[in-house]
Amino acid sequence: MLLLTALVEDSLDQGYARAAARRDAGEPPSRSSRWVLAAGLLAVGLLLATAAVEARARSSSVAEARAALTAEIEDRESANAELERTLERQRAAVAREREESLQLTSEGARLSDALTTLEAAVGAAAVRGPGMAVRLTDAETDPTGADIDPRAGEAGEGRVTDRDMQTVVNEIWASGAEAVAINEQRLTALSAIRAAGEAILVDFRPLNPPYVVAAVGPPSMRTAFVEGFGGSYLQVLRDYGIQYAVQDSDDLVLPASAGVAVRYAVTPADVPSGASVPQPQKERTP
Amino acid sequence: MIAAIGLALGIIAGLFLEPTVPTWLQPYLPIAVVAALDAVFGGLRALLDGIFDDKVFVVSFVANVLVAALIVYLGDQLGVGSQLSTGVVVVLGIRIFSNTAAIRRHVFSA
Repeated sequence: MLLLTALVEDSLDQGYARAAARRDAGEPPSRSSRWVLAAGLLAVGLLLATAAVEARARSSSVAEARAALTAEIEDRESANAELERTLERQRAAVAREREESLQLTSEGARLSDALTTLEAAVGAAAVRGPGMAVRLTDAETDPTGADIDPRAGEAGEGRVTDRDMQTVVNEIWASGAEAVAINEQRLTALSAIRAAGEAILVDFRPLNPPYVVAAVGPPSMRTAFVEGFGGSYLQVLRDYGIQYAVQDSDDLVLPASAGVAVRYAVTPADVPSGASVPQPQKERTP
Repeated sequence: MIAAIGLALGIIAGLFLEPTVPTWLQPYLPIAVVAALDAVFGGLRALLDGIFDDKVFVVSFVANVLVAALIVYLGDQLGVGSQLSTGVVVVLGIRIFSNTAAIRRHVFSA
């Protein structure tokens, strides 16, 4: 307390009082003092202006770096989208060519039919058919309050999580779905639903809410889903403020998955006899 | 008059010449600015009190800036740089506030 009081009361440099006392005593002021003052004020101005320029330069360099990064992200995203379109075109061309050459023989036609079925089943081809769409929406306002520390964990209660999405999708598969897509992203046997921060990722691509899980399957699918564990799970989610709706649809179109690729498995005919190809660690049956 | 020209010249030189501050000096710039402001407001208050003295002002300005920078430098070497800077800012901030309060009483007589 004493320290603070001293600080507040002695805020003026005592040198001023002493200099004034000296002047009162009759000491003449030195001649050079005007120039000293000018030099001192020049230094003050220089310091303040330099600091201002420095601060502005620093903030603008941060903004520039951020803008450059944003532009790069957007560039790469559009390049990716362009590549994806090219890929789809090429795939369609390959499929057409294959179809044409397969149709030349009866054996080929049989293979072609089998291929079409398989492609639809694994997600390599777009499918259409009757089914249902489950729509999930985050809670509108957080029931626990807006100004809670986001790291505390309670703030995200009204938000759909990756775990919720996994459960819902698994129940939809279990109810008899033949093809499932989340927000126009087709799920395959190798698809992963994960979280990064607060976003849900499907095959490493972030989803934007609201989430629509579309599934093509038999008419019994909806009843099986709503009356099974999936329905009761959605009821629980509703307690947290998450809104859902299940809608029947006569004609759903699900796109092909962009990332159907096997990294380890090879077809037997392609395996060279020397077997320099890395052996799969674990065999999987689809 | 000469003093005002000196101040204006300093600001103009700083703004237009844009002197590059060496990197080793950059951490001390903000603290030096606070110290300089303390000296400036102290001088302004002395001026209004009628006891302003050129030499005291210049010496207090230079000493303030050097000591503030020295304290921060010492703190950096000892590993308590940010705490010591906070301390310097708090002390100088209190002084600036009470000096500006005195100036305000002079100017607005309130």
